[in-house]
Amino acid sequence: MNGTIFNIQRFCTNDGPGIRTTVFFKGCPLSCLWCHNPESQRGEREILFYKEKCSGCGRCKEMTVEDTDFLCYNDAKRICGKSVTVTEVLEEVLKDRLFYENSGGGLTLSGGEPLAQPAFAAALLKGAKEAGLHTAIETCGFTSERVIREIAPVVDLFLFDFKETNPTLHKQFTGVDNARILENLRLLDSINKESILRCPIIPGCNDRPEHYEGICRLANELRHLRQIEIEPYHSLGEGKYAALGKPAAHFDRFTDEQVQEIIQTIQNGTAAPVKKA
Amino acid sequence: MNLNFAAKREALARQFDDIQWQTDSGSSPQDLEAQVQLWEQTGLPHATIKAKTFALICEQGQIAIDRDDIFQDKLNGGKLMVEQRKRWEKQVKDTYLKEQTDAIRRAWRDCGAYTGHGDYGHISPNSKLLLEMGLVGLLERVERYAAQENLSESQHVFYDSCKIMLNAMITVAKRLSEAIRPYNRENADALWQIAVGKPRNTYEAMQLLILYFFLHEYVAGARVRTLGRLDVLLYPFYKKDLESGSYTKAEIREMLKFFLHKFWSAKVPFDLPFCLGGIDESGNEVTNEMSYLIVQTYNSLNIYSPKIHIRVSDQTSADFVKLVLSCIRGGNSSFVFVNDSIATKALRGVGITETDARNYVPIGCYEPAVWGVELGCTGNGAINLVKAVEFVFTRGRDLKSGEMIGIDTGEIGSYEAFIDALKRQLCYITDRAAQYVIDIEKHYREIYPDPILSCQYDESVRRGVDLYEGGAKYNSSSLYFYCIGSFVDAVCAVKQLVFEEKRLSFDTLGDILKKDWANAETLRQVALHLPVKYGNGNPVADAIAAEIADFCAGLVNNRPNGRGGVFKASLFTIDRCFYVGERTMATPDGRHAGAPLSKNMCATTGMDKNGVTALISSVTKMDLSKFPNGSVLDIILHPSAVQGEDGLDAFYALLLTYFRQGGFAMHGNVFHVKDLRAAQKEPEKYKTLQVRVCGWNAYFVELSKVEQDAFIRQAENAI
Repeated sequence: MNGTIFNIQRFCTNDGPGIRTTVFFKGCPLSCLWCHNPESQRGEREILFYKEKCSGCGRCKEMTVEDTDFLCYNDAKRICGKSVTVTEVLEEVLKDRLFYENSGGGLTLSGGEPLAQPAFAAALLKGAKEAGLHTAIETCGFTSERVIREIAPVVDLFLFDFKETNPTLHKQFTGVDNARILENLRLLDSINKESILRCPIIPGCNDRPEHYEGICRLANELRHLRQIEIEPYHSLGEGKYAALGKPAAHFDRFTDEQVQEIIQTIQNGTAAPVKKA
Repeated sequence: MNLNFAAKREALARQFDDIQWQTDSGSSPQDLEAQVQLWEQTGLPHATIKAKTFALICEQGQIAIDRDDIFQDKLNGGKLMVEQRKRWEKQVKDTYLKEQTDAIRRAWRDCGAYTGHGDYGHISPNSKLLLEMGLVGLLERVERYAAQENLSESQHVFYDSCKIMLNAMITVAKRLSEAIRPYNRENADALWQIAVGKPRNTYEAMQLLILYFFLHEYVAGARVRTLGRLDVLLYPFYKKDLESGSYTKAEIREMLKFFLHKFWSAKVPFDLPFCLGGIDESGNEVTNEMSYLIVQTYNSLNIYSPKIHIRVSDQTSADFVKLVLSCIRGGNSSFVFVNDSIATKALRGVGITETDARNYVPIGCYEPAVWGVELGCTGNGAINLVKAVEFVFTRGRDLKSGEMIGIDTGEIGSYEAFIDALKRQLCYITDRAAQYVIDIEKHYREIYPDPILSCQYDESVRRGVDLYEGGAKYNSSSLYFYCIGSFVDAVCAVKQLVFEEKRLSFDTLGDILKKDWANAETLRQVALHLPVKYGNGNPVADAIAAEIADFCAGLVNNRPNGRGGVFKASLFTIDRCFYVGERTMATPDGRHAGAPLSKNMCATTGMDKNGVTALISSVTKMDLSKFPNGSVLDIILHPSAVQGEDGLDAFYALLLTYFRQGGFAMHGNVFHVKDLRAAQKEPEKYKTLQVRVCGWNAYFVELSKVEQDAFIRQAENAI
């Protein structure tokens, strides 16, 4: 079975327990204003062009998105997205098996949205479980109940995004309503799946007390929540917007003190540990 | 005694900057020199002259005392004994080894191909015996052996020079004791105890270690490259002190600050190492309360010298290792981890017993040698692997100088013939380097006898033979192989471009390289971007690395040296990747002539694109237990990768996996590439940013631009 991914990153230490390999899926049903992986939004292959690195040699003039073997010497032009089989990905992931064993790590699926390619994600996770790996998935949760029920048995830990409490604002920020997302999260909790809530906090969008309260309410309602991870906005994705020829939305950045304050505010409302991701 | 270190720190930091010698306490080195010159005309054995010179300085030289310090160590020997050694070495070279010395100088200074030299440094005194017996005990032992009947002339010379030097050290202890007495009675008493007996508590033990080190290193001109296992040394005293109530833990912690800071303020060249943790002769882990106390105290001082080697066995507690990892994460990168199981296996491979091997100490950077039993000579010479590639293309001639340094390995018609030619080149230049070491070792008696060191080694004292004449139980020499990463990338590029894709002939590639890729930029780009590179877990590249590593180890290990011992192989580059890079022509992997080569066991800078786990899997495909003189991997991690409790656990698992897979030594740098860039731009703001250069640390801002750039490129790939 084939899927489309845009990166496999080894030695990830912030995507679940231990040392992990994270597979980034291409394509996402959401379009968050602050997305820091804009190249992951579309399901199709895309060309990234970093103008400042280009030497103007002209070798890429005839190049199309189909030329997956094309190699720009200056790394100015890259094709984002490639079609891979479950076996290929697993082979790469299993290279670090010893590191997982020594650290309690494993495989994490991220993206984009892994559950936008549900069959591929399920096959990959199943393969990893059969190989004895710990599995995690980072998801926005916007998928059908059927997919959630199918995937749950092969996932040890859900890194579940919670972006906005207010449904109207959620739609405004991400393009979709959060009702289904919350239903899916509650469903997972009801079938005893462990989760971590991942909460991006974006200045001027969701950095509001009501949302912090919403996070706490949700956290207090879940029985299998490990912790809450706060992801303060960072601007690392801005270069990629330019490379895709897309306009990037600009947001302010929090100071370290502000981040600590937010964490403290949320921590005051819940017993679950709150950390910076 | 005032043990308030913080109040004294500033003054102590300057104690070696401009030493105020007490002019009425004795003669200056200049005044003593005439006497030394006279002795050198007499034809006395050099061991005797050396001992007399040392005694002359100890008895008549000027001393200085530090009223701010709780330890005394200063005796003005100037450069007298270093100059003496240099004179003797020059005499030997001029008399017996003129041609050989010229040849080796050309091969190294002009061509960066290989080098060999006498190694009079890399010493590990038997400080355990020193503390157990004291100077007086060592002297009595020498006297007992000296009283035997039927001793040879050379045995007499040996025992007499040991006695002279030990007595001289005792004299210094007494002189310093008298001088400090009006200001610090406790320090005076400790020095007096050292002069008349053995140390009885932690304070006296530290004072003896310091006195010994500074007299041996700064007066007798030795290069002491470790004082050994500090936790093992101090723990018995510490335990006794706490039990008897002589000193409290807090007092000992404060003493440790003075002790460690002494080596920092002395700016010991390449930093003096201490070792902590690991197993003892019986195979039991030694980590104790002292190990923790030393790490915590050291880290609180925020210094990078002395440097600390952490031996890790399968019994070393995770807590202890994580404590050290957290120091590294906090920016103190002067810790190195070494793997007991690989070190002991490697040492057994060169004829060292299991029991002895377990008691190794890492000398200098990372070279394991048995503590107080083996004279390691761990820095005798090196071979630049990449130069072998050049010589296959140039038929043995150094491209720049035109000198014939390698051999003519003929036409190359196949990949197998290429590998065979590389091996022949390596064989040839390794022979040359080793032979020079052997030649010069046969003259160690004239160049560098070391009675004060020898008298701490049982075997040497029993036999009445100086360590440098083969008096140790194990008399080892060493050769390093430099730049394995660049070498493998060069070989992989030839394999793919010439023999698999047949883009061009071997000779055409050679012509292009000789012209440093002129008019061949497209090909160079192809070469630079070839997918098969060392350090990425690529099976083809890793197999080449493993094959060549085995081959090199086989060339060196157990080769007889000039002192009745054998050679040991090393696989690391120190900081010479720049020096030899400047002297190496363009390489098939797209590197320009003169550009730096790869560091230690790292990938060619910037070429490890799959992250640190892939790098580790490549490195551990080589059998590192075949490098009994050490090997090291440097890793650079991004702070975010090791943040928090989880990050520390991941860091620990990374180290553990490296060791379980057969890695030997590892040092870690944790920093953000943006900080390095900022430091390059505004050095004044980043004066204290430390990086680990190789076996020692440096402030990033004090490195050359080329070295800084290499660090930046390496950090760019850190996840």
